[in-house]
Amino acid sequence: MSELALIIEDDEDLAEIFGEALKAADYTIEIIRDGLAAQERISQVVPTVITLDMHIPHVSGKALFNQIRADERLNKTRVVVATADAQIGEAMRGLADLVLIKPITFTQLRDLTFRLHQRK
Amino acid sequence: MKNRLSILFNRLTDVPTDFPDNARRQKILNILIVSIFFLTALAIILILALQNLVSLGLQGNEFYLAFVVLIGLAIVYFINRSKHLPSWLASFLFLVFLSAAFAYTDTPEQLANGRSLFVFTIPVIMSSMLLVPAASFLFAGLVTVELIIISNVSSVVPNGFAIGGFFLVAVVTWLSARSLEQAIKDLRVVNAELDQRVVERTSELATALSRETVEAGRREAILNSIADGVIVFDRTGTAILSNPSITNLVNKSQTEIIGKGLSDLLDSEDVKASDRVSLAALLEKSAQNLSNLRVKWGRKTLSVNAAEVRDGASQAIGTVAVFRDFTREAELEQMKNTFIAIVSHELRTPLNAILGYAEMLKEAVYGQINEKQKSVSGRIMTNTQRLLGIVSDLLDQAQIEAGKLKIQMIPCKPAELLDNIHGVMEKTASDKNLSLILKLDPAMDTTIIGDPQRLQQIMVNLTNNAVKFTDSGSVQVKVAPVGTKNWQIQTIDTGNGIPQDALEYIFETFRQVDGMSTRQHGGVGLGLSIVKQLVELMNGKITVESEIGKGSTFTVTLPLITHNGSPTVPSTKQE
Repeated sequence: MSELALIIEDDEDLAEIFGEALKAADYTIEIIRDGLAAQERISQVVPTVITLDMHIPHVSGKALFNQIRADERLNKTRVVVATADAQIGEAMRGLADLVLIKPITFTQLRDLTFRLHQRK
Repeated sequence: MKNRLSILFNRLTDVPTDFPDNARRQKILNILIVSIFFLTALAIILILALQNLVSLGLQGNEFYLAFVVLIGLAIVYFINRSKHLPSWLASFLFLVFLSAAFAYTDTPEQLANGRSLFVFTIPVIMSSMLLVPAASFLFAGLVTVELIIISNVSSVVPNGFAIGGFFLVAVVTWLSARSLEQAIKDLRVVNAELDQRVVERTSELATALSRETVEAGRREAILNSIADGVIVFDRTGTAILSNPSITNLVNKSQTEIIGKGLSDLLDSEDVKASDRVSLAALLEKSAQNLSNLRVKWGRKTLSVNAAEVRDGASQAIGTVAVFRDFTREAELEQMKNTFIAIVSHELRTPLNAILGYAEMLKEAVYGQINEKQKSVSGRIMTNTQRLLGIVSDLLDQAQIEAGKLKIQMIPCKPAELLDNIHGVMEKTASDKNLSLILKLDPAMDTTIIGDPQRLQQIMVNLTNNAVKFTDSGSVQVKVAPVGTKNWQIQTIDTGNGIPQDALEYIFETFRQVDGMSTRQHGGVGLGLSIVKQLVELMNGKITVESEIGKGSTFTVTLPLITHNGSPTVPSTKQE
């Protein structure tokens, strides 16, 4: 069983692309497209990587980020913030493990997340 | 009664002349004639009345003399009133008549050398008043002749002292009459000048008044015809003037505005408390020249400007406030912002998806593809990236124009910026067989304060531009400090160069060096314009040097800030 990558992204196409990139980086993927569902799922699983869109329905990206950071079980989980807003990106730099400003390419995400494997 | 008498007297003594000196003399003569006439008439009546009561034994010739006097006076009077006869004639006749009459007032002895000698001075004195001043000498001569005749009649030696006295009186009256006439003449001149001045001032005032009226009318017409609402407040903050347009903007009638204070104007449910505060600040401190204050007033958005009204001596005498209906503009602005926000998200998202899917096809995520398919996927990616770039440029331009683009001031590392250039531009450069040379001056601070995203954008745009217009050779990107106060980013290419006449407009929006190259080189001509605007937002400047066939050098000079909040220097001057 390969490591889990949680993709929190409301856009269907980007979720698909991110999913394929992470699959290509040898993760088991799970896509969540709603904030509330994401909140619930985060409390249940321990993913190695979470890609987090800062603008998703119902719950803000920042709130989700804080929830992840506050959860002891997830202290080894790497959070990759994916946002189109450069200013939010700058604000998250230093807080998140990785900040990617959209557009994010398939190869970029694949190569960067491949380095985040725990077993490495 | 008294009034009627004086009117009658005035009418009797009136003279028909326009010459002031003549008028004065003739008037005096008339007064004398009328007075003497009535006195003589009264005397005759009294004498007749008494004669009937008591026998006085009056000599008949004295009685007839009185009648002769009356007739003579009447003749002189009518001569004096005549318009056709010379004005001096009546006076002359009167005086001659008077002189002659004196001969009958006493005995010849008394007249020649006695108690009545003095009477001959009377015509001498009067002549200078009734004729010209020098006429006194004429009548001194006349009365001397008369005296000699009377003396001869009564066989008396003429009184030489008396004759000398007549001439002495003549001299004195001549001098005094002359100075009196001069004084009157001066007074008349002064009066005439005064009258003239009164006329002039009156006419000036009338002109000024009519001009003021015209000006006021014109001003009112202008005020009434403009679409902006205007209220003028006096120094105490009371509205003293407004125009019809204001009533529609603030939902108040003119009578609800004029004479009221600012607080009354703002005391409306239509105005939010915060807007009330800022409006009051604007209008009460108009000297600070706050302008274009936007407030919501009911359903309308108003743009308010205020300015002090000063009088001729630059004293503040009030405030004029101009209210403009900004509702439509505010709506359009809101629409534009919404549009930008939507476009920003909605246009980019599908483009990102296209880019991602094309890349996945190319990377054989969905199975192996042949070389042609791989190449097509690559071209989809390139074109999508180009489109994304154009969308970003347009959005940046829109944001700059709307004043919405804010420059952040956070720590950033020049080395990282250069590294990213390598990541972004290396492939494009190597595809064209250009060498991309990145140089970081060791003297450059490792961390500076600035906007990393925008600095990166400046670098990418300049480098992209250099690569685009260079067919062979190299593109250098150099980052170095300039003195202690500035730093600079330079891109040096070995490209086609830019014609001198084009250098001045290459930073303009939507311009490339020639119309054709937009097609040839891609882009919409916004790259350099955005760079220039970003550099200016950072208080920096951009310059370009270029030589046809040798290449171009773009230099961006920016203030060097190494500690957050404390710029080493705000100046952008190059050293």
